[in-house]
Formats: sequence, structure tokens, C-alpha cells
Amino acid sequence: MNEEKIIEVKNLTFGYEKGERILDNVSFSISKGEYVTLIGHNGSGKSTLAKLLSFILTPDSGEIYIENQSLEEKSIDSIRNKIGIVFQNPDNQFIGSSVEDDIAFGLENRNIEQAKMKEIVKEYAKKVGMLEYIKKEPEELSGGQKQRVAIAGILALNLKIIIFDEATSMLDPEGVEEIRNLILEMKKEDKELTFISITHDIEEAYLSDRVIILNEGKIYKNDCPLKVFENEEEIKKIGLDIPFIMKITNKLKKDERFKDLNYDKIKNLKELSEIICQKLEA
Amino acid sequence: MATTSILGKYSPYNTILHRIDPRLKLFSLILLMVVVFLPFGNYTNRFMVLGVLALFIFILMLVGRVSFASFFKSLKAMWLMFIFLLIFMFFIPSEGKYPIHSFSNGYTLYYDGLLQVAHIMLRLILMIALTIVLTSTTTPMEITYSLEWFLAPLKLVRFPTQIVSLTISLALRFIPTLLNETNRIMNAQKSRGVDYNRGFLTSKIKSITTLIIPLLVSCFSRSDELAVAMEARGYNPYVKRSRYKTLKFRLRDLFSIIIVIIIAGGVIAFSVCSSNIEGFSDLINLLWGIKTI
Repeated sequence: MNEEKIIEVKNLTFGYEKGERILDNVSFSISKGEYVTLIGHNGSGKSTLAKLLSFILTPDSGEIYIENQSLEEKSIDSIRNKIGIVFQNPDNQFIGSSVEDDIAFGLENRNIEQAKMKEIVKEYAKKVGMLEYIKKEPEELSGGQKQRVAIAGILALNLKIIIFDEATSMLDPEGVEEIRNLILEMKKEDKELTFISITHDIEEAYLSDRVIILNEGKIYKNDCPLKVFENEEEIKKIGLDIPFIMKITNKLKKDERFKDLNYDKIKNLKELSEIICQKLEA
Repeated sequence: MATTSILGKYSPYNTILHRIDPRLKLFSLILLMVVVFLPFGNYTNRFMVLGVLALFIFILMLVGRVSFASFFKSLKAMWLMFIFLLIFMFFIPSEGKYPIHSFSNGYTLYYDGLLQVAHIMLRLILMIALTIVLTSTTTPMEITYSLEWFLAPLKLVRFPTQIVSLTISLALRFIPTLLNETNRIMNAQKSRGVDYNRGFLTSKIKSITTLIIPLLVSCFSRSDELAVAMEARGYNPYVKRSRYKTLKFRLRDLFSIIIVIIIAGGVIAFSVCSSNIEGFSDLINLLWGIKTI
């Protein structure tokens, strides 16, 4: 992983109304190529943070730097070429009248010539597995498919940072799985891509490089998932839960027989059960 | 949910009519509509010309694989019109040249009224048929693009044609979404005991408000989210944007416009000199140069 900072947030404070503090003196930084999940309660300021990062909202005080460039009115165009958001509601971000029109929307805004645009649209429709639906209208697509189109529309812009703002929360389990796999694929293909996922899905948080927990406008935890979810009591105190796999490993660590196992590299339950079996056989 | 409307629905075939430049189709529609409403002198002339036009439109419908079922469905709405016309032009008038039947109390029915009703109905039906040919062979987006093209001269007076066309296309794109939403809200309210079908007018109006208010609220929140999504993807209405789709005028478009202009021009010419033409035989004579105007 590259240690170069791509996002730096310093003492960020924001409220929709005067005196309100949705975000209260928040500071953190994100390195290039990192996969960060941002979790927290409804109203903890997660989505607001995403809107601040893409300059849809302006902060009351504090600074945001994207690639060492300060986020302000005059740098807006170059920032928009670096950062993109996929939103929650698949219907309300489908702008074009068909799949191809929607993927092209961001490209049209960047005044890219038509022939090149057609190539790009095809390439990214293929990447998200929507090539055969390219002429379809939004009402003919499922929620997961619409979200994939939205992702293609963002990927096509060749951005450096992609934010998912609860992009899977309105999808069925199948759709969630589809999008999750797509994220992992994207990450594999482009190591430089920085990826921030705002989510309620703690299982997804377990898969990320780093977890930031927001609580009442402040950063509660900011570390790798294994460390963040280490102390179950602390997480439960603010009303969140820890991933199922962590629950098991935490219990196992208390057991004499499994205390000295290496739990750091376990990605899913299957791997965990294999390790346990090996230990028992040995 | 299907978005059928009285003016027809796009049917995704790939006929020659589908491939013709939509600007040309829109222009032809307007031209032919005007032609249908031109005056042609006496009834023989009128029905003759409308018959020719009807044949032409019928051929268009066949070529464009327009669904006749949907055409007849949209004609259903014409019944009311027909009855009104019949009352006001056939039953009420008391003057005319050709009486059908005189009742003992002096009330007389005339053929004139009947002809007039048929004439008006035929014009309206042709107009609907033309519109259906357009809407079933042209996507709403293509119509929007052509509208934008026709509005282009207004750019000189700083009229924001691009914004207008994007607004129209967004409105079209959200019609099915909002229809679904309406259905959803209706079902939700029905499950809470609201009855949309029965009751007097006042209670019906009351129950409609339980539909309209949540619908409005959700519309506003939708448009808010949409605006944010558009902004996040770099939309700026005052900066030059490129186009993913552009309209191209091809050779086949030239041929089709020639056909339309010949037909329309012929009908217009006929209309101009129709006051001097009495029926079919005169027309033949005129064409052969026997009679001059």
C-alpha cells in the first residue's frame, strides 16, 4: 500500500443549521489505494462527510485536502475529476434515459468527444456486466443492475477516489453480494484506486483495510478492522455490533486451546473453520 | 408498470420509419396535421382528399408496424366527442340542403349534419393516427432531441435550449418511476383503510389528498437527491457539454422528406384551387389541362 496521503481532513466542523454540529472537529487522513469503511449510526454524520468531501456541502470550519489541493470554490472542477460518489437510491441517481445515456452523462459533462465517449461507455458497461442491457431503460432493470450502471458511470470518469454512500442498503441480498464482488474486483484491477464505503454492513467493514467509526459527529475509532472490533464492549456501548467472525475469534482467543492461533489473515468463516480443524487434528 | 397513454407508446422495432431522422418525423407530423385541417371546398372534395391522406397514413402504419390495437384503443376516447358532435351538428340544426326525414311536427333531419360530423371525426382520427405513428416509431428521447434542434435558433436570444431539453428528458425518464410510486402509496393507503373508489365526491377528494401529499413530498426529496447526484457527476448547465447521441440527416431522410412534401404540397395546391373544382371529374379534367382555373 502506498503511504501517500490522498485525502486529508483537518478539524472539520459542519452543521446544517446554526449551532448544530453534525460533524464536530473531525480529523483523519486516507492513503492512496486504501479501502476504508465508514460506519456509524443514522445521523452520525457519515453521509454528510461524503457530501463535504465532494464539495456538495461546504464546511463551516476546517480544511479538506485532496492530493494536497485545498477543497474550495475555485478548485471545484479539478476536485470533481478526482472524486465520485455512488448514492443510496438507485432510482434517484439514474439520470440518462437508458443505460448507455446514464454512463455517458458524466462524460458529457466533461465535454469528451462523441467517438471516444462511445468506446468508454462500452468498455465500462462491459466491466460491470451490463453490456447486453446497454439500450435498456431504467424501469426494466433491477436495483442491483441500476447500481452497477451508476458504478460504471463513476468508473468511466477515471477518478482517483470513489465513495459509496450506502450504495447497497436498498438492494436485496443478491444485489448486495453482486456489488460487494464488484468492489473487490475493482480493487484488484486498480491498486491506485482509493475507495471509501459508507455502510451499515459490518461484514463489509471487516473486509476493508481500515474502519472509521463515527459517533455523534466525532471519530470514535479509526484503525484496521481487527483492532477496531477487538473490544466488543466498546462497540456495543454506542449501539453498533461487531462482525460475526470477530465474535467467534474473540471467544476463541479466550479458550486455552485456540489462544495462540493466527487470526489476522482470516477473510471468511470457511478459512476460520479450516484453521480450527487443523489445530484440532494437530 | 406499462406507460400506455392516449397518444400511444414506443414499440421497439427496427423499421424504416424507426430509423428516419426524428426531426424529420416531427416536422412531417406538424405539416401533415396542418394539411388535414385545410379547407377543400365541397364534401366530395373533402372526402376525396382525406381518403388519400388516410390511405397514406395507413401505409405508414403498416410500414412502421404500428399496433392497430393501441390505435383503436386510443380511438375509444373519441366516443364522447362523436356524441357531442352528433347532438350539436345533426340533431339540433334545423337547416340543410338534403333532408333525410321530416317528422309530423316539422322537425327535420338533414344529411348535411351527418356529413359534417363524419368530416370532423375523420380529421380527428387522422390526426390521432399521425401522432401514434410518430410516438410508436420514435422514442421520447429522440423527440426531445428534435425539439431541442428546432428550438436552436432561440439560442441567439440566450434561451437555454440545452437546459430545457435535459429538463424534458428527465421528466420523461421519471414518469414510470413516479407511476410506480403512486401505485405504492395507493396500496399503502388502501391497506390503512383509505377507499379511493367509493364514496361521494367530497370524500373522494379527501382520500385523494392522502395520495397527493406523500407523492409531492417524495417528488421533492427525489429531485433533491437527483440534483445532488448530477452535481457530483460534474453537471454544470452553463458550460459546454458534449453529446453522446447526435442526430444525423441521411439520404433516406432526404427521400422521405421529398415524399412528404410532394403529398403535402399536392394537398395544399388542391386546397388553394378547390373552390373551382367540383368533384372528381373536374380534377381529372384539370390534370389533363382541359379545364383551366
